[in-house]
Amino acid sequence: MKLIIFRGGGFAGMVARTELDAKSLPRDDAETFASSIARANLREEPPPPPEKSWPDAQLYELCLEESGPTLNVRYSEENLPEDVRLLVAWVDGRPERVESMGP
Amino acid sequence: MSTTREGIHPRTLCSIAPPDLLGRLAVEGDPRQREAAVRALATSAAIRSQRAVMGYLNRQLNVNIGKMVGFGVIPERRLTIYDNKTNGRTFLPGVRARDWGEPPVKDAAVNQAYDGSSATYEFFRDIYQRNSLDGAGLELISSVHYGVAFDNAFWDGTQMVYGDGSGRIFQIGGLTRAVDVIAHELTHGITELTAALIYSKQPGALNESFSDVFGSLVKQFTLNQTAAEADWLIGEGILVPELGTALRSMINPGTAYSGDQQPGHMDHYKDLPDNNDPRNDNGGVHINSGIPNHAFALAARAMGGYAWEKAGKIWYTVLTTRLRANSQFDEAARATVDVAGTLFSSTEQDMVHDAWKQVGVLS
Repeated sequence: MKLIIFRGGGFAGMVARTELDAKSLPRDDAETFASSIARANLREEPPPPPEKSWPDAQLYELCLEESGPTLNVRYSEENLPEDVRLLVAWVDGRPERVESMGP
Repeated sequence: MSTTREGIHPRTLCSIAPPDLLGRLAVEGDPRQREAAVRALATSAAIRSQRAVMGYLNRQLNVNIGKMVGFGVIPERRLTIYDNKTNGRTFLPGVRARDWGEPPVKDAAVNQAYDGSSATYEFFRDIYQRNSLDGAGLELISSVHYGVAFDNAFWDGTQMVYGDGSGRIFQIGGLTRAVDVIAHELTHGITELTAALIYSKQPGALNESFSDVFGSLVKQFTLNQTAAEADWLIGEGILVPELGTALRSMINPGTAYSGDQQPGHMDHYKDLPDNNDPRNDNGGVHINSGIPNHAFALAARAMGGYAWEKAGKIWYTVLTTRLRANSQFDEAARATVDVAGTLFSSTEQDMVHDAWKQVGVLS
């Protein structure tokens, strides 16, 4: 299982890519990763964004690679569910993550 | 769908009712509704809702909301800084950290947001005689320490929000350190309350550009720099050094950092879709803003002196009186040429026209 997070927009307008592969994690952490992904419920339709976008708000795309087709889901800062935010923060805290700039 | 697995989105718990709904009820509801809405606003701790309603009332009724009684407004309070770190990280505005008129606190981000907001307020008041974002003294609210190692600053329609930076993209503490970043975010508030440029494609790129223009002008004003002396960089020194010098260069778009894609001419305009894809930036709003940014910097340099005196005044007048939500580059360009002639002379008019011609917007 692999999660790729794209972040763009924002004040900078830069695109950042963060990838975390469960295979790179110790077994306990891989289980935490899986349960964080399950809690984030990426298959649920995101809440609708507000009518007017927030200037400089960050945009997110989470791509989940498991067996079967990749799941791609997009959010903006305005409608980012808390469990997805926690998942992103957890990935950001992992030393095994791989980061790059650009699309 | 607005619910999570637990049933209610956490942020819903932190608000009372949609602010525009309360605003409408306070103005248009029956007597019971009006009383309830006003009572809710007067007693609620949901400050950002109050502020949105105040903005709504100000726009709809053209009244000086700072003088209204019962809305929790302190007319002389120019700004307040809140801290998100101790109260849930993303719950806005957070815990009050420094009120207007209070001395500096230990937290550098709080003091930087305070000083930058104050400098921006004073710039618009002293140079363009504008009393805050709405022209009627609306209190400037900022929240610092948003999120965890959050690499962004934004305007959420009612207030400024600043992350700490992760040290991987933005330097830790960088986002509140640069006065042009603070002025950029505050200018989004002015735009929202005036031209209300939609945040997509060309109107969105104009929205971004006006924020860069006045962000840069506040920086130049605080440094007492002429157009010739200014570096025309946005967010200089806040990125980690490996990425580059700054976020954007207004005088030389596309050169601020490694991977900077900003065009400086219409020949290189990037026609991206606005499809919520983080790679497409709301239809390229931070990318194509390089074109109007370039036009402004060229016009300001051609006119010489302090950029806020002529070019800035022209752009400010156009933003606040001439543009509409869906304005495109050519409309903004023609408006600045027109206003240059009204405010100054045919010499300035020609300089503004020539600047837009150099970037390929006008022929």
